Amino acid sequence: MHEHWKEAKERYEAIEIPEDLSFATESAVRRGNRRYLRRWTLRRGWGAGLAACACFCLLVNGSPAFASAVSSLPVLGDLARIVTVEQYQINDREHLIDVRLPALTDTGNTDLEQRINTEIRTRIDQVLEEAEERAREARDAFVDTGGRAEDFTPIIIDVDYEVKCSNQQYLSFVIYKTETLASAYTEIYTYNLDLTTGTELTLPGLLGPDWKERCDQVIRDEMARRTAEEDAVYFTQDQGGFSGVTDDQAFYLDADGNPVLFFEKYEIAPGYMGIQSFSVPLP
Amino acid sequence: MSSALDRRAVLTEYILSHQADFYRLAYSYVKDRDAALDVVQESIVKALSKADSLREPAYVKTWFYRILVNESITWFRQGKRLVPLEDQLEQEAAPECDPGARLDLYDAIEKLSEKERTVIRLRFFEDLKLEEIARVTGANLNTVKSRLYKGLKHLKEWTEEDDIDA
Repeated sequence: MHEHWKEAKERYEAIEIPEDLSFATESAVRRGNRRYLRRWTLRRGWGAGLAACACFCLLVNGSPAFASAVSSLPVLGDLARIVTVEQYQINDREHLIDVRLPALTDTGNTDLEQRINTEIRTRIDQVLEEAEERAREARDAFVDTGGRAEDFTPIIIDVDYEVKCSNQQYLSFVIYKTETLASAYTEIYTYNLDLTTGTELTLPGLLGPDWKERCDQVIRDEMARRTAEEDAVYFTQDQGGFSGVTDDQAFYLDADGNPVLFFEKYEIAPGYMGIQSFSVPLP
Repeated sequence: MSSALDRRAVLTEYILSHQADFYRLAYSYVKDRDAALDVVQESIVKALSKADSLREPAYVKTWFYRILVNESITWFRQGKRLVPLEDQLEQEAAPECDPGARLDLYDAIEKLSEKERTVIRLRFFEDLKLEEIARVTGANLNTVKSRLYKGLKHLKEWTEEDDIDA
């Protein structure tokens, strides 16, 4: 190397290294590792399952036998409990994410707990991952069409849950995921569990072999009542409105252990009607 | 997960053993002790939190330099630094304004455009290969070459030395 470069490099190397550099470096390493672990936890959480914009109901419905008659005070220790296992927020330019993740404990059935908790985790992980992907795409499209990245409105996601029914036999909770990009959209997932058998509850199991007829009847009557008394509006049959319950009808249990069937926004009624739910009494 | 742990271990070791290099490079951009420390810290935090995107540990150097150079330039552009006007004028004044004065090579490098300067610094002060510089800057190899030659040409003019080509 020629003389000039040697001199120039010497000047470069003579840049004085501050004494506190190693302290600064080490604290940055600690911060970076913490941030990595947070991100990793989050990513792991995004496992499987749901599509975007949704609110899920995870209904872990303990068995229905509405032991719920138990409306009386439950003995706390006997009940399965839903606890918040993870709560975090992510606030950056692209997202404002707020998550409260539930987990099932104290059911006396570890296999069930593990299965359900993994499922919850996996679902939420996947949903968030997909939301992230959408946020990225939306942002790229915004920038490609001449918008400034810093003007992009972040995607807003809220994940939260609600316990609908909890007694010795049944546990039911819903997880909501609401995603707001331009307008908010909530999707619901449901889980319904029988704690005594460790299985998921089904509508035929709860309501008997003629469950579809029963449900259809209740829903049609209630729709008519709401239309007459509350100015409710439902899509007509040929607009894609209600045409009978299907095998994968979503439901959760109310506090008394009665199944509550629900339809997401736009499913059987105009969006402004929101989520429509119908309580079907047990036989 | 174990490979992620390995990656972070590789990265941490690399960071701890090369911190002085990072500081000098950052300082050569921001020209301020505290700002350079900030830039180094931010780069480290970013690098570790995104350790998963380091797919090939052999590229740890160029991968990290890319973050570091971006942070340095971002800091510069974000106006985190409020420069007194006269300093700014002085710094941006083209050397041609004073054709009589010969510049020292080190000072002349400061007058290069940001992109040329980055290539020159990485090539001659950090001893990176041109392919590595391409990875750091995200430009293709020919672009890097052309920036290098343009930069050298300017330096030759400004220093009036003919043996700058190294």
